[in-house]
Amino acid sequence: MPFVLFRCDEVIPEREKHCYVKSPGEDIVTYLPAANIATIPGTLTERGCAYCGAKLVIGGAIKDCIQMIHGPVGCAYNTWHTKRYLSDNNDFQLKHVCSTDMKESHIVFGGMDRLKKSIKEAFAAYPEIKRMIVYITCATALIGDDIDAIAREVEEELGDVDIFCVKCPGFAGVSQSKGHHEFNMEWMRDKVGECEPEIWSPYTVNIIGEYNIQGDGFIMENYMKRMGIQVIGHFTGNGSYDLLRGMHRAKLNVVICARSAGYIANELKRRYGIPRLDIDPWGFDYIAEGLRKIGTFFGIEDRAEKLIAEETAKWRPKLDWYKERLAGKKICIWTGGPRLWHWVKAFEDELGMRVVAMSCKFGHPDDFEKAISRGREGTIYIDDGNELEFFEVIEKVKPDIIYTGPRVGDLVKKLHIPYLDGHGEHNGPYMGFEGFVHMARDMYNAIYSKLWQLAKEDIRRKDNGR
Amino acid sequence: MSLIVEQKDRSGVINPMYNCQPCGAQFVCIGVKDCIPLVHGGQGCCTFVRLLFAQHFKENFDIASSSLHEDAAVFGGVKRIEEGVEVLVRRHPSLRVIPIITTCSTETIGDDIEGTIGNIERNFLQKEYPEREVTIVPIHTPSYSGSHVKGYDTAMHALVSTLARKGQPNGKLNIITGWLNPGDVKEIKHILQEMGVKSIILMDTESFDAPIMPDRSGFAHGSTTVEDIADTANSLATIALCRYEGGTAAKFLEKKFGVPAVIGPTPIGIKNTDTFLRNISQLTGKEIPDSLVVERGRAIDAMVDLAHMFFADKQVAIYGDPDLVIGLAQFCLECELKPVLLLFGDDDKSYVKDPRLTELEREANFDIEVVWNADLWELERRIKDGSVDIDLIMGHSKGRYIAIDYDIPMVRVGFPTFDRAGLWRHPVVGYNGAIWLAETIANTLFEDMERKHDREWILNVW
Repeated sequence: MPFVLFRCDEVIPEREKHCYVKSPGEDIVTYLPAANIATIPGTLTERGCAYCGAKLVIGGAIKDCIQMIHGPVGCAYNTWHTKRYLSDNNDFQLKHVCSTDMKESHIVFGGMDRLKKSIKEAFAAYPEIKRMIVYITCATALIGDDIDAIAREVEEELGDVDIFCVKCPGFAGVSQSKGHHEFNMEWMRDKVGECEPEIWSPYTVNIIGEYNIQGDGFIMENYMKRMGIQVIGHFTGNGSYDLLRGMHRAKLNVVICARSAGYIANELKRRYGIPRLDIDPWGFDYIAEGLRKIGTFFGIEDRAEKLIAEETAKWRPKLDWYKERLAGKKICIWTGGPRLWHWVKAFEDELGMRVVAMSCKFGHPDDFEKAISRGREGTIYIDDGNELEFFEVIEKVKPDIIYTGPRVGDLVKKLHIPYLDGHGEHNGPYMGFEGFVHMARDMYNAIYSKLWQLAKEDIRRKDNGR
Repeated sequence: MSLIVEQKDRSGVINPMYNCQPCGAQFVCIGVKDCIPLVHGGQGCCTFVRLLFAQHFKENFDIASSSLHEDAAVFGGVKRIEEGVEVLVRRHPSLRVIPIITTCSTETIGDDIEGTIGNIERNFLQKEYPEREVTIVPIHTPSYSGSHVKGYDTAMHALVSTLARKGQPNGKLNIITGWLNPGDVKEIKHILQEMGVKSIILMDTESFDAPIMPDRSGFAHGSTTVEDIADTANSLATIALCRYEGGTAAKFLEKKFGVPAVIGPTPIGIKNTDTFLRNISQLTGKEIPDSLVVERGRAIDAMVDLAHMFFADKQVAIYGDPDLVIGLAQFCLECELKPVLLLFGDDDKSYVKDPRLTELEREANFDIEVVWNADLWELERRIKDGSVDIDLIMGHSKGRYIAIDYDIPMVRVGFPTFDRAGLWRHPVVGYNGAIWLAETIANTLFEDMERKHDREWILNVW
């Protein structure tokens, strides 16, 4: 059987359909792990909530608007200072978050007055900011607060502000993925088409599903600039609220994270006929391929080739140095969803590593289609993996390194396995040519750290426990 | 001089200083051994609190979620609790306590937690696991009431009131620490050992400082056992170090089991630590040993070295948990720093009636402004518009950008302190905490002097 029931899951056999080991001759038509279905309570899931998918992942990266969370204070507090998305706006989006700080009386009598006051106070506190995103949360959704109505009232009263409302409480859907979807569709419905951006190039794109983690997006913006391409909407890393309202003016949608933002690309295609081009920006081969496709689309292949040649000449020797040392190393990728399939072939083909286990928090079946198609036989593929399963996976595959989140990383370090931050990136940026060298460098530094050898030693024993 | 008390005059919060109740409850529960709390709400309510703990401690703590979804909003979420408990019990053979921590969503829906626990005990635990003793503890922490401070207090009370059992007198002293760091707990245990006092620490978080071991066995966990909590009913007395975080549990033990309760003071600074030692001595009959007099002397010596030359007249803003803020303000007065602005981050009116504030007012030769129901904007705005002149900020890492953007030296203290390495390993309580505080403040000011070329030559000889 290609599906595996871990020992820890013998008491919850429904987990079996989420855990798959690829065998020779199998394809995704025959077997695909169950994904994007509700978590079993009490399994120590790694998943977050739909609200966080909307706020923390997507809306929070937009650089020039106020984030107003309509709910108790924790929803704002806990989605603040947990991301590394930068901007060229003095990182306004990292520094500030607002909450209506709902109290019991507002739950009883409604929180709309409080929301209205809080919105006006926030605009008064940041007079230079005229844009805002209001998010509903579990409590305010349950009591039925109409955040749209309040937003329209304030827009009318203040005259020069624009407010986007996201109606995606934490309990919606099965994971943060629901929040990505809601934000995409609501932005498309409510905001795209409202602004007419100034166009300075015949070649215009939106970069979609790229969140400028540690400046990843700056690299992409730089590549576009060097090819003479204007980026209109950057959805949403270093994104500008008004430019994102002008996404309909781009000639091409370059999609990076298909999971969190493929929706808006599809809608832009449907409504405005803008073609969607998916690229993988991690790894030399992939980024070169992506740039070539963009160049071909606009008929500026020469510019793409020039850029690729310059970047390759600059970074290839460095990558080769690391490749020699990383070849054959076993790696796990336990991240959100798409990074499984974005990274697996880059690690395998370009660095000679072996990706031995992959787990995602909020991937859908199509993410597994891609991950399994690109991944090797014998590799373990898990949907919504949890701690006890991770322990068994580690025991089975004995990885040299794991790309995962900081908390799981804090767990696996006790097992003498180095982790790298697969969400926030250890020492990024990770995208593009230089980014892939950074990834290789981080992996090399972690795997070859002397500390892991020291950790294994037992000084009570003459042979040091080896 | 005067102590001006005011509250934020805005409705909303800009840059929150406090978290919501379930976070405080989760912090208490991870201090219990063989305990995995089940947070009854959306997945984010536990996933992001776990991340916050990991940011602060660089450790993983197990907290489960009931993974509430839309159907529960219509039909109620108790099925999710039942399933969650069953999965936890089945998968974790050593598990002994499962606190059910409610959130805003499940309190709004009105799920019957106590009734559900009864059902689980009858229909699942007694039938399928009659040989195991697993206690399920209801903890009601709607996120729209109070803050993590109240959540801590509520959870401590819930655990103690559910688990404490009258038995034989144990001759021990209960210490309810409040939301302190593992370094503080270590210091408290050190003091008790020097005093020769046996104790029950609620919660003993020293083991959050987990090693990487050759046999791969070191994982972060709490060390207070079910037996420890049960035995609190039989102790000599309870000292709650933080009035607002643990005080209710101490009073419960006094009322229900006749265990005398001493609430506070939070032993930050010399005088508060003196009072703590005297209280221990009085409650247990043990003498204060010479060794602690020596430690006290070292702390005073360290403070003397710094106070008049570097600390005098420096204006300090302090924010964070109420007992920590008050304790730090008292410490500041002891070493000539001026705590001119104190900020509390929720709407609990009792903070501003705290007798320790009256005492501060009496002792200070300057005006003190106290803002309750505050957010970090209350601090930033005052600095931005020049209404206060701040030489030093003391608070947790959520305020880091104020220090960075306005170029004001800052000492990270409390929780969370994710932008500095390992601070949680160091105490702020006890005489050793006073040394750490004084020297950390000094070194922070010194670095600022050097960077700004502000009389940095003083440091050549002092």
